[in-house]
Amino acid sequence: MATPQHSGWIGKRVKRLEDPRLLTGRGTFMDDVTLPNLHHAAILRSPHAHARIARVDASEALRLPGIRGVLLPDDVARMSRPFGVGTTVPVKYYPTAVGKVRFVGEPVAVVVAKSRYLAEDAAELIRVEYEPLPVVTDPERATEPGAPLLHEEIGSNVANHRLLQYGDIERAFREADRIVRTGRLVFPKYSSTPMEGYGVIASFDAASALLTVWSNFHGPFVMHPLVARSLKLPENKLRFICPTDNGGSFGLKTSIFPYLALIGLAAMKIGVPVKWIEDRQEHLLASSSGTDRVSYLEGAFTKEGVLLGVRMKIYDNVGGYIRSPEPACLYRPAGNYVGPYAFRHLEMDCHAVHTNKSLTGPNRGYGCQQLYFGLERLMDLGARELGIDPAELRRKNLIPTEAMPYTTPTGGIYDSGDYPQALEKALALANYPALREEQRRARAAGRLFGIGVVCCVDPSVSNMGYVTVGIDPEVRKRSDYQAKSGAAETAVVRVDPMGNVTAVISTVPHGQGHETTTAQIVATELGLDPEDVTVVADFDSFTHIWSVATGTYSSRFSSITASAFAMAARQVRDKLCAVVGHHLGVLPEDLVVAGGRIFVGGDPDRGVPLKQAAGMAHWNPLALPKGMEPGLQAMYTFHFPTAQPPDEQDRVDSSNTYGFIAEVVAVEVDPETGKVEIKAYVTVHDAGTIINPMIVEGQIYGGALHGIGGALYEELAYGEDGQFLARTFMDYLVPGATEAPRLVIDHVVSPSPFTTLGSKGLGESSAMTAPAALANAVADALGVHVDTLPLKPERVWRWVRQARGTR
Amino acid sequence: MTLDGTYEFPAPRAKVWAALLDPAVLGRTLPGCDKLEAIGPGEYRAIVKVGVAAVKGTFEGKVKLADLEPPTRYRMSLEGSGGPGFVRGEASLELADVPGGTRVSYRADVQVGGLIAGVGQRMLGGVARMMLEQFFTRIATEIGAAA
Amino acid sequence: MKPAPFEYVRPRSLAEALEVLRQHGDEAKCLAGGQSLVPLMNLRLSKPGVVVDLNALKDLAYVRAEDGSVSIGALTRQRVLETSPVIRQRAPLLAEVTPLIGHPPIRARGTFGGSLAHADPAAEYPAVVLALEGRMRAARAGSEREVPAEEFFVTYLTTALEPVEILTEVTVPVLPPHTGTAFVELTRRHGDFAIVGVAAVVTLDEAGAISRIRLALCGVGPTPLRARRAEAVLQGQRPSQALVAEAGRVAMDEADPADDLHGSAEYRREMTAVFARRTLGRALERLGVRL
Repeated sequence: MATPQHSGWIGKRVKRLEDPRLLTGRGTFMDDVTLPNLHHAAILRSPHAHARIARVDASEALRLPGIRGVLLPDDVARMSRPFGVGTTVPVKYYPTAVGKVRFVGEPVAVVVAKSRYLAEDAAELIRVEYEPLPVVTDPERATEPGAPLLHEEIGSNVANHRLLQYGDIERAFREADRIVRTGRLVFPKYSSTPMEGYGVIASFDAASALLTVWSNFHGPFVMHPLVARSLKLPENKLRFICPTDNGGSFGLKTSIFPYLALIGLAAMKIGVPVKWIEDRQEHLLASSSGTDRVSYLEGAFTKEGVLLGVRMKIYDNVGGYIRSPEPACLYRPAGNYVGPYAFRHLEMDCHAVHTNKSLTGPNRGYGCQQLYFGLERLMDLGARELGIDPAELRRKNLIPTEAMPYTTPTGGIYDSGDYPQALEKALALANYPALREEQRRARAAGRLFGIGVVCCVDPSVSNMGYVTVGIDPEVRKRSDYQAKSGAAETAVVRVDPMGNVTAVISTVPHGQGHETTTAQIVATELGLDPEDVTVVADFDSFTHIWSVATGTYSSRFSSITASAFAMAARQVRDKLCAVVGHHLGVLPEDLVVAGGRIFVGGDPDRGVPLKQAAGMAHWNPLALPKGMEPGLQAMYTFHFPTAQPPDEQDRVDSSNTYGFIAEVVAVEVDPETGKVEIKAYVTVHDAGTIINPMIVEGQIYGGALHGIGGALYEELAYGEDGQFLARTFMDYLVPGATEAPRLVIDHVVSPSPFTTLGSKGLGESSAMTAPAALANAVADALGVHVDTLPLKPERVWRWVRQARGTR
Repeated sequence: MTLDGTYEFPAPRAKVWAALLDPAVLGRTLPGCDKLEAIGPGEYRAIVKVGVAAVKGTFEGKVKLADLEPPTRYRMSLEGSGGPGFVRGEASLELADVPGGTRVSYRADVQVGGLIAGVGQRMLGGVARMMLEQFFTRIATEIGAAA
Repeated sequence: MKPAPFEYVRPRSLAEALEVLRQHGDEAKCLAGGQSLVPLMNLRLSKPGVVVDLNALKDLAYVRAEDGSVSIGALTRQRVLETSPVIRQRAPLLAEVTPLIGHPPIRARGTFGGSLAHADPAAEYPAVVLALEGRMRAARAGSEREVPAEEFFVTYLTTALEPVEILTEVTVPVLPPHTGTAFVELTRRHGDFAIVGVAAVVTLDEAGAISRIRLALCGVGPTPLRARRAEAVLQGQRPSQALVAEAGRVAMDEADPADDLHGSAEYRREMTAVFARRTLGRALERLGVRL
C-alpha cells in the first residue's frame, strides 16, 4: 500500500474554498430553502416559569384570515411520544408543554399561516389560562426537601445521579498533608449565539407517509432515530436534509431536534409544508445552552504540592426537562476528569437537576469549561495555601511525556502529548518572570495586576457510549440493556469519468472549513491541488452513508473524518496505481502519484495523467486487472476500537483523541469600577498534526473569545422567579472585536498514534480554558477567592472592597 | 419588585376611602383603563392600556379587594396578561389622618413576566412607580372634583 | 419577531409630515434612523397605527454655524457629528461622545434628533445636550416653539414633545473661552448604553477659579439630570483633588438609579462619584489643569 512521499497540503495555510461564496453572499442557508405552497410558523411560548395549563383556546386565532391551522398541546400528546433520553427517570419531554409549562419560553402552540407576520398576529389571539406554581432556579437548592417539584412522576428534581469512584479516595485524603477546599463554585449558564439561528422546513407527503425535514441540524445523527421514534414514524419514513451552509452552531444545533419534531407535527397535522426560522429572542430564550453548575471540590495535597486525589460534588442545571444527549454535561469529560494531572484517586458525585430554566445540550467545550473551572481553581487555591507558585504546582503534577499513551484512572486513553514542553512554551512566550516582576511593581503602586495559569486536556471525538456511564452499573448488566459504544465516520471519495475528484462528507460542517481540509487531505493523497477536489457538504439521510455518530460535534472532524478521508483517498490512489500499473506493465509500488499524473518513479515521462487513468476505469472496465470492480470510488469507515462502553468500574474512554492546552493570562483590575482588562493572553495548543494552521488559528481565536465571553460578559440570566432577563443583545452581552485581546498562539505537535495523519480535534479549544484562566488571574490580582462567574464589574468591585476591608 | 410609598390627599379619610374603592372612580383613574366591570363582590375585570411613550401594551386582568377594614386598610391583588407579558401583584394600603387630609401608604409586591421582564429591565421599576403616581394623582383630581 | 400591522407614510415635506401627525395624534410614530423604533416594533412593544417615515426630509439634516451657536437639524445622522469640523470646533463635546454610541453602522442610520426624542435615560446625547444647555425646536402644523433642554426630558422615554409635534432642530450655544469639556462613561462593552455617564463643561476665570460649571449625568435616573448641588460645590472654587472628590460625592446623592442586570442601584450611585471625578478631571486636564 503506497503512502504519499511528502506531506503535500497537510500543514499548509490553504485559503478556504468556502469563503468566496460566503463572502459574496452566495451561500445556501436554511432561509434560502423554499418549497411550493410554503407556509410559515410562529410559536406561542410560555411567559411563566412553572405553571399548570388550565385551558388553551385558539378559536379567535383561527378566525384570522390567512391562518391555516394551529398545533396545540393535545395534538402533540396524541400524535407523538416523549423523547428518549439517557437517564432512567420517567421524564416526559414533548416538543410542546403538555399539562404544565416548566420554563419561560417553552413552546405551547404553533400557528401556521401564509406569512410569519400573520402567524404572529394570530398567536397573540390564542388565550392560555395558566395556574402559576412555585419556582426554583438553583440546581443545588432544587435538590433540597421542600423545593418545588417539576416532574411529579419522578418525585424529585434529580434527573440523574451517579457517585463515581476511582482509586482509593479515602486513603488519598488520609495521607494528604493538606486538604484544600474550593467551597461553593458557581459557573454560569451561557450559550454560543451563532449568527444563524435554528431553521426548519417540514413537509409531509401523506400519500407515502414520508416526512421530509430540512434543517441546519448537524449531528450526532443519533437524533434521527430519536425524532423518528417520537413522531411514531419508521426511520425510513423520516428524511433529514441539511443545506450546504450552516451559519454557526458550536453544538447548539444538535439540540434543534425538538423543533424538528414540533414543525414536523405541525406539517403532519395541518397538511402544508411549514417553515420556521428562529428569531434572536427565541434563540436566547429557548434554543439551547451549556449547563450552569454548582460544584464543591476538595483536593488532597502533599506539602510539596503533589495532588493525590480529588473529590467533586456537582449539581448541573439541565433546566425544565433533561433531554438527549444530557446528562452528557456531566459525563462527556469522563475520560479526562483528571485533566492533565497524574493523580489516581477521584470521587465524582454527579447530579443533573431539573429547574425552571431553559434546556441544555452541547455548547462548545461541553462539560469541560465547567470541569476545568473547578479543577484549576482548586490548583490555584492549593498553590496559595501551600506557598507554591501556580505554574510550579502544575509542573509538579503534569502527566510525564514518557507515560504516553497514558490511561487515566477513569479509563481515558491519552494518545499522545508533551504537557511539560507545552507549559514551558506558554510560560516562556508570556515571559512569566517578567509578568511576576510587573506584578510586584503594580502592587507597590496600589494597582491590581494578576496572572492566571491553566493547563487542560482537550478531548475530541466522542465515544457514543460515554453517556451510559450515567446509568447505574447494575442496570447496564441486565440482559435487556442495549449497550452503546463506538465512534465511526464514513468517507466517500469518487473520481468521475472525466477524472474530476469528488469527496462526499457527512459531517454537516457549521463553519469549520471542512470542505477545505477535506480537499487538502484528498489532494495530498492524489497528488492534486485542493481546488481540484470538489467537496459535497450538504446532507441527505436518504443518500449519504451515516450512522448514529455521524456529524460535527466534539471536535471530531480532524481526528476521525480526516483519517477516514485519508484512508478512502489512499484506496482510490491504490486503485489508480493498480490500473496504471496494469496498463504500463509495471508494479503499482513503483508508481508515483504527483502533479496530476501517475508515473514510474525516476522516469516521469513514463506515465499517464490522472484524468486518463480515471477514464480507463470508467470507459473500458473490461481492460482492468482481473477481479477489479469497474468505476473509481472508495468508501472508508474509520472507527476507534478504543471506544468501548464503560466497564463495571465506570471507566470509559469518553473521547478517542486528547489534545492539550496551556495558557497564561495577565489582567489588570480597575479597583474603582471592578472592570477587568486583559493585558496578555498566551495560549499553546497541542492537537497533533495540524492540517490547516490558518483554520486552527481561527478556531483558537474563536474559542478564546467564546471563553472570554463566558468569563466576563455572557449570561443567560434568570430572576429568582424564573423570569428570563436577557432576551436581547442589549442584555446578553457578546464580546465583539472591540473587546478582543490580541492572542499569542503557539503549538506543540505530538501526533496521535491512533489517527491516520496524527491529527486530533481542536475546535473547542480555549472555550474550555479561558473562564478558568481569567478567574485565576482575577483571584491573583485581588488576593481573594474567585468562586463565581461571570466577572461582572460590580461583582469584582465588591470583591475588591472585601479584600481591602480585610487589609 | 417591591414598590412602596405614600401619597397625601387634601381630603378627609372617609372620602378618600370611598374614592379608592369606587369601581366607577377606579375605572376612570387607573391609567389607560378602558373597561372596569364588577364580576363579583370586590372583584373586577379590567382592560388596561399601559405604556410609556412608544412602548404600549394592552392587558386583560382581574383586580380583587380583600381584608377590608374601613376606613383604614385593605389589600388588593391584581393579575393581568397581554401580548407583552403578565403582571401579578399583591398590595396593602393603609389610610391615616394627617393635618390637612389623609395619607395613603402602600406597599406592593409585583411580579412581571414575559417579554417586558426580559427587555429594558432597568426601566421597569421606574415605569411602575410612574403609573402609581399617575393613578394617585388622578384619584386626587376625582376627589377634588367631587368636593 | 415581526411587527404588528401598520400603515406607512413617507411625507415629502415637513408640512406634510406635521399634517399626518395632526390627523393621527398618538397613533402615529415618527421613523428617523429606526435604531430604537424598529426593534421596539419588531418586539411588538410598540404598535403604532401609522409610521411616518421622515427620511425624505433631507432639509432637516444640517450642521450650521451661527452667531454664537451651532444649529443641528434633527435628521442629521450621528456619524456626521463624529466628523463635522463645525461640531469639532463649536461643540466638541458632541464629537467626543458620538463614537461611544453603538457602532458605526448604527451611527450611519441613527439620527441626533431621534436619539433625543427617544429619551432613553442611559443615552449619551440627552446628557450632553443638557450640559450644553441646548434649545430644542418643536414644530406642529401651523406653529413651532422652543423648549430648553432642562424642560425637554420629562421621564422614561418621554419628552415635552406632544404627539402632534416633531423635533426639527437643536441649537447649542458656543461655549465661553477657557472652557474644557469631557464625557466619560462606564459601560461593559464598547458601544453599550451607559451604566453611568457624566458630561462636564468647566470654565475657568483668569484667577484659575471655576467661573461656570455644568455637570450632567445619564443612566442614573428616569431622565438625564443636572447635578446642580455638585455644581454649587464647584462654583467659584479653585479646582483641587479634594474639591473634585467632594463634588463627586454630592453628585452621587443627586443620582436616583435603578437596579438592573449590569449594575445595582448601589453600584451605580458609587460609580456616579467615580465618574463625576474622572470627567471633571479630564475636562480640567484639557484646560491644562492637572489635579
